[in-house]
Amino acid sequence: MTDVREQAATTAPGDVGSVQFDLEAEGLSIEAKSFGRQTWDRFRRHKLALVAGFLLVTIIVMFWVGPSFSSYAYDQPNIPDRSKGPSLDHPFGTDPLGRDMFVRVLRGGRISIRIAVVVAIVSTTLGTLLGAIAGFFGKWVDLLISQLINLFLIMPALIILFVFAIRYGNEINSVSILLGFLLWVNIARIVRGQMLQLKEQEFVQAARAAGAGSFRIITRHLLPNVVGPIVVQATLIVGTAIILESTLAFLGLGVTPPDTSLGVLINDGKGFLRDRPSAALIPGGFIVLIVLCINFLGDGLRDAFDPTSRRVRE
Amino acid sequence: MLAYATRRILATIPLLFVGTFLVYVMTAQVANPLSRLATCNTCDQSAYDRIINLYDLDTPSPVRYFKWVGNLVTGDLGISTSQGETPINDFFWERAWNSAIIAIPAFILIAVLALVLGVYSAIRQYKASDYAITGLAFLGIAFPTFFLGLVLQVFWGDWWQDWTGTKPFFITQKHDDTFKELVQSATLPVITLATVFIATESRFGRASMLEVVNSDYIRTARAKGLSERRIIFRHALRNAMIPIVTLWALDFAALLGGSVITESVFAWPGIGPLFLTALGSQDLNLMMAIVVFSSILAIGFNLIADLFYAVLDPRIRYD
Repeated sequence: MTDVREQAATTAPGDVGSVQFDLEAEGLSIEAKSFGRQTWDRFRRHKLALVAGFLLVTIIVMFWVGPSFSSYAYDQPNIPDRSKGPSLDHPFGTDPLGRDMFVRVLRGGRISIRIAVVVAIVSTTLGTLLGAIAGFFGKWVDLLISQLINLFLIMPALIILFVFAIRYGNEINSVSILLGFLLWVNIARIVRGQMLQLKEQEFVQAARAAGAGSFRIITRHLLPNVVGPIVVQATLIVGTAIILESTLAFLGLGVTPPDTSLGVLINDGKGFLRDRPSAALIPGGFIVLIVLCINFLGDGLRDAFDPTSRRVRE
Repeated sequence: MLAYATRRILATIPLLFVGTFLVYVMTAQVANPLSRLATCNTCDQSAYDRIINLYDLDTPSPVRYFKWVGNLVTGDLGISTSQGETPINDFFWERAWNSAIIAIPAFILIAVLALVLGVYSAIRQYKASDYAITGLAFLGIAFPTFFLGLVLQVFWGDWWQDWTGTKPFFITQKHDDTFKELVQSATLPVITLATVFIATESRFGRASMLEVVNSDYIRTARAKGLSERRIIFRHALRNAMIPIVTLWALDFAALLGGSVITESVFAWPGIGPLFLTALGSQDLNLMMAIVVFSSILAIGFNLIADLFYAVLDPRIRYD
């Protein structure tokens, strides 16, 4: 066995001795691969997800560095230039206060992404924590957390958001943390379900026999097994949060001016859809593009994390 | 079956109590019917007293909650502050019916299209048609509902009119002088409402169908030499339908409960805009009426879905 291995290392992969067979196509390999490497290899085959990921990174980089290439600021009004259509000087036109729409769209995209990432982090952390505790400890703890999940499902999120906005105002950080607190339910359910299944398996018994405590079993033995679904879900939450943020902006709960977000920009532009549709369609197009990329990325990650999906695409 | 249904309904009651209690007390903290008098110069103490009496503001909110529950049981939804101090029962059901006018066609559209697309893309897995349906579904999911509504308004209601010289759809209100007008004005809201649901559910249907199609008993059916049509429709679909039916029930409940975004974009006089008005003017009773209405719909349809399982899967019995 060892000399096959050495041979494989010296000759081209797939050319083992005199026998020719395509190892990569079979999804087999002689070298042991780490979990991360395996995942990456599977992900790489998902061409659409790869393109989506690349596009997403490009858009995000554009949001962050783009404004420095423009001579305009997102909050600098210029009344003589107001309500212009797209031109060379203002690629996306200007708004009714003469502010450059290009810079404002980039600024809005930045805020939208920031909100979405905070939401994803908060809800993933909370959902994983509560889901793991519920699934692992079972009994009354599970009952309590499951009822909490049901409660969140029947409490209308809009009421909570409105009450919160009336009492504390809609400052972006607090709104995004609140959204995170509203979206943890899905992840909690997934993690809980997986935990219920995993904790009955032998390796958990083995760990317990070796003297590991509950905390160690959860963090070192169980959670690594659930990383796949959690990452996929967290990715999708970023998309959901971007859409949710824009919806809140439509309802008048968006970021306060002069700051802006993609949702606020659409909402501002909807008043003159007929004359200058670009004002609403451009930020809207960005939202669609970003969420589309995120969903393709999530789809690719789902396949990549699933060890049973060994099929080769195309 | 009846015993099961009763047990299920009884089990949801405590949750409903806790949920409505929290919403009630939380909203009562910020809702103040007296705030309307703040800008009234000619109002004296009697105006304040009248409103305090009308909404029972002297009692603490947890106590008021129990009074409200008592009234609810007798069918009294209370008085709305934002709709000119009229009893909610007077206008609520007309609004609910308006929501149903767009919810029912949207639901039929969702059920049929999502099922057909999902099943079709599952049996054509990794073929061009599957990729096309998947791509369209992702696009549908990526559109925020209100943005889709705006885009449809621009393209259909506005640009179309310029091109053809006729206005094919009334876009920003409910017109119901004739049935034709009603259909025209409901078209865009129904499409907007249905799109996101069709997109997510065709994905769900595809996943559910794929799981069944790859299972052993389908292989057995193939080995027996059954026709593909028979395998898909008689063997696979019945099992794949079980999770889909739950989703249908939840969707139908959500649709009937009124859609805040779609109805607002198209100025459709359903429950959605009413809910927004209630939120904006902190109209506690109206808000609670809508919350209870939609929760009861959700619980009821969930139960119907569970009972429907037994029809689809004879192994499931409730006794």
